Amino acid sequence: MPTKDRKLTVARAMAEAISQEMRLDERVFVMGEDVGPLGGVFGNTRGLFEEFGAERVRDTPISETAFMGAAVGAAADGMRPIVELMFVDFFGVCFDAIYNLMAKNTYFSGGNVNVPAVIMTSTGGGYSDGGQHSQCLYGTFAHLPGMKVVVPSNAFDAKGMMTAAIRDDSPVIYMFHKGLQGMGWLGTEAGATVNVPEEEYTVNIGKAATVSEGEDVTIVSLGMGVHHSLRAAALLYEQGVSADVIDLRTLVPLDRDHIFNSVKKTGRLVVVDEDYQSYGVSGEIIASVVERDISILRAPPQRVAYPDIPIPFAHHMEQWALPNAEKIVRACLRATSN
Amino acid sequence: MSSAVHQVTIPIDLWEEEVEAVITTWFVSDAAEVDKGDLLAEIMAEKIQFEIVAPATGTLVIVKHQDQLIDKGDVIATITGAPD
Amino acid sequence: MNPTPEQKQWMYRHMLVSRLFEETIEKIYLEGKTPVFNMANGPIPGEMHLSNGQEPCAVGVCAHLNKEDVVTATHRPHHQAIAKGVDLKRMAAEIFGKETGLSGGRGGHMHLFDADVNFSCSGIVGQGLGPAVGAALSRKMQNKAGVAVSFFGEGAANQGAFHESLNLAAVWKLPVIFVIEDNAWGISVAKETATAVDRNAVRAAAYDMPGVYVPGNDPDAIFVAAGEAISRARAGEGPSLLDIETYRLAGHFMGDAEAYRPEGEKEDLLRKDPILVYEKALLASGDLSESDNSDLKEHAKREVDEAIQFARESQFASPASALDHVFA
Repeated sequence: MPTKDRKLTVARAMAEAISQEMRLDERVFVMGEDVGPLGGVFGNTRGLFEEFGAERVRDTPISETAFMGAAVGAAADGMRPIVELMFVDFFGVCFDAIYNLMAKNTYFSGGNVNVPAVIMTSTGGGYSDGGQHSQCLYGTFAHLPGMKVVVPSNAFDAKGMMTAAIRDDSPVIYMFHKGLQGMGWLGTEAGATVNVPEEEYTVNIGKAATVSEGEDVTIVSLGMGVHHSLRAAALLYEQGVSADVIDLRTLVPLDRDHIFNSVKKTGRLVVVDEDYQSYGVSGEIIASVVERDISILRAPPQRVAYPDIPIPFAHHMEQWALPNAEKIVRACLRATSN
Repeated sequence: MSSAVHQVTIPIDLWEEEVEAVITTWFVSDAAEVDKGDLLAEIMAEKIQFEIVAPATGTLVIVKHQDQLIDKGDVIATITGAPD
Repeated sequence: MNPTPEQKQWMYRHMLVSRLFEETIEKIYLEGKTPVFNMANGPIPGEMHLSNGQEPCAVGVCAHLNKEDVVTATHRPHHQAIAKGVDLKRMAAEIFGKETGLSGGRGGHMHLFDADVNFSCSGIVGQGLGPAVGAALSRKMQNKAGVAVSFFGEGAANQGAFHESLNLAAVWKLPVIFVIEDNAWGISVAKETATAVDRNAVRAAAYDMPGVYVPGNDPDAIFVAAGEAISRARAGEGPSLLDIETYRLAGHFMGDAEAYRPEGEKEDLLRKDPILVYEKALLASGDLSESDNSDLKEHAKREVDEAIQFARESQFASPASALDHVFA
């Protein structure tokens, strides 16, 4: 009997994955701020408290240092915690537990101690939440060794990657963009709400996906950027330029082969990243290609990324700074102009 | 075999204020086969989200689409299936 | 020491302006956000955290403060900004994201900086305590007058920064006052389920400083407790902790459906509205005449209306000016 055709928002997909894993494995539990009865500020723990209760779905005090540290300790002792860092921008108050403990304990113990924790955290702006509530910080987390980093762009990947993350014995940072969640009080990218199978399934961590095929230019992006890139690809098509759009899906481990093979085909590379431009994801993608074989490039690589400024509050300033389809089109036209 | 057309209606007392709501998400597509009790759509009124479930089993025809404004009592879809 | 009639009127006046400002902002915030509530839309986009009900905390403390005293506040800052003397026009313009705003639109409602009156606020819970300690340290090192006050919520008392900041202030005997606005809710989480002690005031003992719990959301009681703490600090006797019982009459943020509140709680709180209670008390004691009352309300309305008009009529800065002021 074929699975029923039904869509989910990213928020519901995350919650469904978590609930299915919690039914399978008693060691899986959730903690964070407002994850219990409220179902998470961004809806990703919806229904969990009702099904599993306060013992396994724990509202914490506003004590990130303590509960992130606790996640490390619990995971090292055999539990499988899923912890929410409500906004990625809050990482500053608990980063030691994340990058110095969670990410390094397996190494320091010579492989004897695993930390099978998942940190899920909201990213992204575009709705005037200001400089401390709108960041992506993909580069910050991807740069530091020892933790896997995934960034779903749609509900199908969101469910599969959450399941994979929970089952992974390594720590996984699961970064979900607020504009893809499906919360009514915040605009949602319609393309993120897609068909999601009811049964459990995984989407492999570490594999990028080509979401739209083309010959003339490679556009690499992640999260919200994938949707801007698809819009740009449609606009470019009208101008006779076909774009090969890649959804990275995972930052660590990075699927460098997939990116390289696309650029080998097109010869032109544009990277789209909502995180700050310098010292981050866009530079890494470009370096990965160039250092492998610079001769495949027929034009300088381009990047459409956030300027190196704190995110401004005012709507017009924020929109000016953000990547969007028009900027991507211009970058692709520059890349294909020779 | 005859079939009946069931209406998917926004309950007349679903929210208090005299404000319109909006369909924020359709979880199934037009012409999808749905079962009674399936989650069909999510709407938002007064900042609260409500779930709309299928009142019957059958084939769905969407009347009001995503992002459209709706009122209490509106029919947002029909389901054509077996008679009650 | 109890407030004089003038001080009571000062407090009442600032509470009026504060509440009127919040009510006005609330209406404007909803512009462009109905019927579909999408927080990205309208003349005031983004999040909005209103202080309705918490006004006594701001006025009871700030009544003792001068321009040179330093205040750090949180994501719910308007009442404290007003009580500290932040320019209301420039504050409103900032909330609207205009060029004439306190930071030209870069900060918005959670990041209001007014260097003229030494006021700043920010959006990360517990973040304001360290800077208040630092300001106090700076004054002590320079032998300059002034105390620092850090406002934060009861949820923040569970952050590491709270414990470290109190300890450091005590160890270095700094002129800083830590003020908890206990409104019982950390978004949807009730204090009893998150805080190990009944009253945060007892935590002061862990850091060898006085800790005072002030119940009742009453400006006069807060005034008295704050006065003692601030005098201590000015006299070089070190930091104090004030733990003030207050209420948040609105949701955590605009858009909060508040399903987590027990039934009847909201209605109960609206009946205890501290401004109505104070107004009644001042009229009854003769500290406020009926005609003064209507004058004050008229002035408050004028002040708020002028600030909003200024904000609405101001221009936006050019989008590319987003690149300015990253560095000194």
